[in-house]
Order: sequence, then structure tokens, then C-alpha cells
Amino acid sequence: MGLSELLSTYGDKYLQGLLATWSMTAVSFVFVMALAVLVTVARVSPYGPLRLVGDLYVQVFRNIPGVALLIIIAYALPELRIVLDWRTCVIVTTVLLGSAFGSENFMSGINTISVGQIEAARSIGLSFTQIVRKIVIPQALRTTVLPMTNLLIAVMLTTALGSQVPLNPQELTGVVSYVNTRATGGVLAFLVSALGYALSALAISFVGNRLDKRVRILR
Amino acid sequence: MSSPTPTLSMRDALYETPGPRTRRRVRIGTAITAVVVLLGIAAVVRQFYVTGQLAPRYWSLFLQWTTWRFLGQGLLGTVSVALTAGAISLVLGLLLMLGRTSGVRPLAALCRVVTDFFRGVPSLLLIYFLFFVPAQLGVKMPPFWMLTLPVALAAAGVLAEVFRAGVNAVPKGQVEAALSIGLSPAQTMRKIVLPQAVRYVIPSLIAQLVVVVKDTTVAYVVSFPDLMQNARVLITSYDALVSMYLVIALVYILINFAINKAAVYVSRRTGAKIIR
Repeated sequence: MGLSELLSTYGDKYLQGLLATWSMTAVSFVFVMALAVLVTVARVSPYGPLRLVGDLYVQVFRNIPGVALLIIIAYALPELRIVLDWRTCVIVTTVLLGSAFGSENFMSGINTISVGQIEAARSIGLSFTQIVRKIVIPQALRTTVLPMTNLLIAVMLTTALGSQVPLNPQELTGVVSYVNTRATGGVLAFLVSALGYALSALAISFVGNRLDKRVRILR
Repeated sequence: MSSPTPTLSMRDALYETPGPRTRRRVRIGTAITAVVVLLGIAAVVRQFYVTGQLAPRYWSLFLQWTTWRFLGQGLLGTVSVALTAGAISLVLGLLLMLGRTSGVRPLAALCRVVTDFFRGVPSLLLIYFLFFVPAQLGVKMPPFWMLTLPVALAAAGVLAEVFRAGVNAVPKGQVEAALSIGLSPAQTMRKIVLPQAVRYVIPSLIAQLVVVVKDTTVAYVVSFPDLMQNARVLITSYDALVSMYLVIALVYILINFAINKAAVYVSRRTGAKIIR
């Protein structure tokens, strides 16, 4: 099958797939960031049980394979009477996985700040909330731009899990398996989707690098 | 209450030594959060109980030796795929890095494109590629390779970048010194840079094994009998979906946790950072 034939037959599918991948990525990433902040707050809080839960959360979702988590959410949760639609299943999976890594990024961002800065801030009379708001968060955010860029790409690649459940519209990976079960798509059918991913990743890392150069703290 | 830790982590540095009032507040907060966490656990257990998922018929299969033997066979499949893919990706990743830093323009550009491609494409897509395309071209491929090759390719892209970070970590002065005493660029790479770079990235390579193990989980797409695929077989024969998937997930988590711990341990001992 040539490129023109492929695109004229399945062009719409690919376009919908790309848009589905992008939109799931965007929605997931917003929740990833929000949840990562919450988990990180729990992990640096002074309350033992909360720290424990935060640490456990990160260890569990950092180490569980995406497919295993998706299967649990999509097929095991309904048996516990928690039914989510397919798209939500994929997004929840992506968010749980991504936020664990996001929290790790924040933690290492916080850890790059030297303890001396906190001591200095305290000695000039800043309160705890002031220290967190004016010293810790700005620096932690600026050093995490690059890791978070990589996380955004990872989140996009994780949405490929959507090919394992009947999504409508399908995302890029699902489209390829759809095309190939109907026609001999060959290398080309894959290349279209692969370029969709790879070029998106390239664009994301380009923007991320530019942003990082502007805000990076030179130590 | 809490014993002083030898290394002051940022977590603790954030807080002043608490006075009596703060200590009381922290104690109350700790109690409240403990209750909330316990309530959460109770709610989960209750949901399991209400839906009948705690019934012995869902869990008794884990007391049988045959269950674990079958899962063990699956685990063996997972391990063999992960190790083979890991070995292939080491070689490929190293070659891609060498090509990219070779200084030969077209080769470097090609290696860069290949690296970025495999890093920017989901491994599932690569697995579907090897599942469909060789068959369409009339090549019969065993499921083992339909799984191992794409996992290896995806990892190779990442490892190429890890190796490159290792090479960049070797001080420039050493390369200049090596070149100035008359070593060729190839000799410099082989004798001076690579030995140090490889040692530097060992913890990162171990950590990367986690990603490889995770990627092997979609073995069922190519129906290769790995841990997950064997678990699915058991689910259909015992009709114990929730318990089986939870146990399998736990097994994967423990394996990957152990790998991560090993990486951190080696990293602490050698002082080399883990690059992701």
C-alpha cells in the first residue's frame, strides 16, 4: 500500500488518533502535575503517616508496569463496582504513573537547594510558609523544567496504553493496529504513527530546552 | 520522638526544631492523618468484602504449589526476555552513542535520528510493528523475538543517551592529554574515555532494567508466555481476576523495587549519579 492510498483511506483515522493522543496527553499532564504536587507535599509534611503514604505511593506507581495498572483499573475495578469509561481508565493509569515520577522530580528539585539557604532564610526571620513560598518552590520549579519536559514526553508515550482497550476515537498506536488488522499496512502504516509521536516529542523537548535555558539556575 | 538522622535531608531541614506547642500540633496532626489513612484502608477492604472479592475461592489458588510453578515459568520467560533485550540494548546503545560521537557527520546525524526515534516512540508501537510487519513480508518470527527486539530497540535509544552522558562526564582535559601524547581518537575513546564512562553509568544501566521489565509486560500481544500472560491463563481457568492481577502487580512492583534499590546501592558505593 502506497502512502497516498494509505492516507486517503485512513488519513482521517490517523488525524483523529494524533488528536486523541495529544488531548489525552494534555489532560493527563495537568492532573499529573496537580497530583505530583499533592504527593510531594505529603512527602515533605511533618506528619509520619502522610509521609509514609506518599513514599509508598511513589514506590508503587514507579515500579508497576503500565499495562498491569491499566488492566487492574479497566478490568479489576469493575468487579469492585468502580466502573470508569475506557478513556478515563487510560487517563487515570497515565496520571497515577506520571505523578509518581513527577513527585520524584519535585523531590530532587527540592534536594538541590542547599540546607544553608533554609538556615539563612530562617535566621533573617522568614516564617515557614515564607521559606516554602519564596525560597523552596521557585528554585524547585526552575530546576525541574527539564525533567518535567521529559516527563511530558513519557506521559505521551504512556497514552499508547490506550491501544489495549477499545477506545473511540483510537489513539495513534491503536490506529496502527486497526489499520493492520484490515489491510497490509506495512512499514509505512507504522511510520506515520511513529512520526506523529517522534515529532511531537521533538517539539516538546525543543520548547522545554528553550524554557530551561531561560529559567535555569546556574550554580 | 524521632531519632536524629545522620544525614540531614531537605525534608527535615525545612522544619525548625519544634517547641512544645508545635510538637503537640504535629502529634495531633500525626494522629489525625493516621486515622484518615486507616479509614482509607478500611474503606478499600470493605469494598473488597462487599463485592465478595475476599471470598476464599479467589485466594485459595495461591496456596497451591501448581499456581506458583506456572507463574514461576512465566517469570522465567519475563526474565529471559528482559535479560536478552537488556544485553542487545547495551550493545546497540553503545554503538549508537559511538556513531553519534564519532565526528563523522553523516554517521553522527544518522545515529542521532535513530536514537531520537526510538526514544520518542512508545514501545507498544514497536511491538505491534514486529508483530505485523515481518508476517506481512512473509518472515516467520518466534514470539520471543517479536517481544525482545522491540523492547531492546526502545531501550537502546535511551541507553545511547545514558552512555553519551557518561562520556560527557569524563573531563575534557583527559581527552586532550590523550590526543597530545599521540593516541588516535579511536584509541582515546577505547582506552581513556570508555572505561571511565561505562563505570560511571553502571547504576543508570541497572535502573534502566526496570523499564525493560515493564516493557515486557505486553507479551500477551504476541502471545509469549511471560508472567503476565501466564497470569491471564490462570485467570481464565480459576476465574479469579482481581486477586490474580493484584498479586501479579505486586510481584512486578517487588522485582522493580529490588532493581531500583540495587541501582541506588551501586550508585552510593561508586558515587556515580543515576541518569534517567
